Amino acid sequence: MIKLFNASGMILAKTAIKSLLGNGLKTWLNVFVLSISFVLIIFMQGLLEGWSKQAVTDAVAWEIAGGQYWSQKYDPYDPFSLDSSAAVIPRSLMKEYNAHQIEPVLIASGSIYPDGRMIPVLMKGIRPDQNLLTMPTQSLKGDSTEIPAIIGAHMASQAGLKENDLVTLRWRDANGTFEAVDIRIASVFKTTVPTTDNGIIWLPLENLQNMMSQPGKATMLIKDQELATQTLPGWKFMNQTELTKQTIALVRAKSIGMSIFYFIFLCLALIAIFDTQTLSIFRRQREIGTYVALGMTPRQVQNFFTLEGTMNALLAILLGSAYGLPFFIWFAANGITMPSDVSNFGLPIADKMYPLFTPKLIIGTVIFIFIITAVVSYLPARKISRMNPTEAIRGKVL
Amino acid sequence: MNTIVRVKDLVKKFPIGSTGFFTALKGIDLEFTEGEFTGLVGPSGSGKTTLLNIIGSLDVPSAGEVTVLSHSISTLTPKEAAQLRKEKLGFIFQNYNLLPVYTVYENVEFPLLLLNMSAEERKKRILETLEWVGLSDKINSRPSQLSGGECQRVAIARAMVKRPSLVLADEPTANLDSDNSHNVLQTMAKLNQELKTTFIFATHDEKVIGYLHRIIRLEDGKVFSDKTI
Repeated sequence: MIKLFNASGMILAKTAIKSLLGNGLKTWLNVFVLSISFVLIIFMQGLLEGWSKQAVTDAVAWEIAGGQYWSQKYDPYDPFSLDSSAAVIPRSLMKEYNAHQIEPVLIASGSIYPDGRMIPVLMKGIRPDQNLLTMPTQSLKGDSTEIPAIIGAHMASQAGLKENDLVTLRWRDANGTFEAVDIRIASVFKTTVPTTDNGIIWLPLENLQNMMSQPGKATMLIKDQELATQTLPGWKFMNQTELTKQTIALVRAKSIGMSIFYFIFLCLALIAIFDTQTLSIFRRQREIGTYVALGMTPRQVQNFFTLEGTMNALLAILLGSAYGLPFFIWFAANGITMPSDVSNFGLPIADKMYPLFTPKLIIGTVIFIFIITAVVSYLPARKISRMNPTEAIRGKVL
Repeated sequence: MNTIVRVKDLVKKFPIGSTGFFTALKGIDLEFTEGEFTGLVGPSGSGKTTLLNIIGSLDVPSAGEVTVLSHSISTLTPKEAAQLRKEKLGFIFQNYNLLPVYTVYENVEFPLLLLNMSAEERKKRILETLEWVGLSDKINSRPSQLSGGECQRVAIARAMVKRPSLVLADEPTANLDSDNSHNVLQTMAKLNQELKTTFIFATHDEKVIGYLHRIIRLEDGKVFSDKTI
């Protein structure tokens, strides 16, 4: 194709466009459907990228910070070993602990009894004056006789709890003794990170350590972003990438699921182009024969028709940009308000999602649409190289 | 005069069904020299269009030898054949075969684009050629806005704009009325005289025959007579 258009490339590309526009409404219908696929792919992928970025940012802000040291025995997927997985906070970290650059979190299992129902929970103890996480732990500083606790809005809704409610909490301490106490819900917070909300009760660290008979112990240590990572015997470090791996995998799985929809949509557009190309080659046999008589090889004519079909993609990109760009800019700036129900899905979705349209996404989609349109245009055009030019000139090939 | 086309023992067979053949040309021997205004004349099925297509390198002989401007048609690769057509040959068809979405100017420009000619040179050539055929006032018209005679004159301009050595015209007046036929033929005769371009026609139109300097009658795939007038 390049060879045909070596010196007069632009002129012949213009000729292909002119020829394409000569098809009138049919071209514009194809271009419109293709442009919708193009805009839809960019928009949906932008939405997923925005979601992915938001989910990672929120996870870092609410529970990861600069990474976590996990006690060697801690396995988040093993509830049986959870209560015995805590370890003594290393003395070597006392300076950072006192400077709030390290925040210990003790995790234990328990259950609450709101309105006579039993709900299993994970108790997480954290220092009320921590500032590494966005969690509103200041509410845990309460001076009432009951132990203060904070819970997420989803947990509150599930348990039917609200601020200042008292609820019985039952747990088994390190010695295996069952204990129970009434705790007060000091505040209910709203978060987009389900792992800090669903089935979690946040308690003051010291209280939980005493409740569990595990003073000075923690299950994990959250690290300040600025603090260098160090090797701690009995602890393994989990960095941000490892800790957000699941969230990213979840968004990616969602992306694959969605891609099926726009694959179907893209197929419809491409079938229309394929159909138009096939019809066009059938109708324009004389023109094809004439190009050959004027000095083009059948291969060049084939490339010319492929180029003409590929121009559908160019027009679709121009048209898609005309109505898609304002649409993208508006949504990127104002976000999309998500229905309140989505927080119940257990997915890290904010109230408003801001699509992220990266140059990689846009350029990648443009190239993808171009390549796939070129392939679809090429397939019917292959017939040209097998045409007898003398028959084509008279329009008698098919 | 230089011989520009030499046809020797030319046989052309077309397959019929899976095993049979139809022989369209049965041992043709002809020579065409520079500046001729010649017609291959004969009834339908006599082989005149087949011969014209082979001379135009659009088809290949089944046997025999055809040499056009020192190029043996049988041995040309598709690329070389295209190169020969692009640089040296002009075609005029019965149905004009103009490109419908292009203007008159763009139709005439197309062969020059294939030759990678500069924009300035192209413009000069196109305007000059359109003046020869009397269509200077129609440069922005599309084929659908022209009469049959005007379309055929655009086709002549398209064939002539690259100054070919040989123009092959297949039934150029078949779709034209008498006035337009004479008009078109006069244009071609004038170009033949002024530019010394060789014209070979395939025709059975008496009006065309009246303008020819040499008449080669074909019948049943053979040369029946060859008269110079």
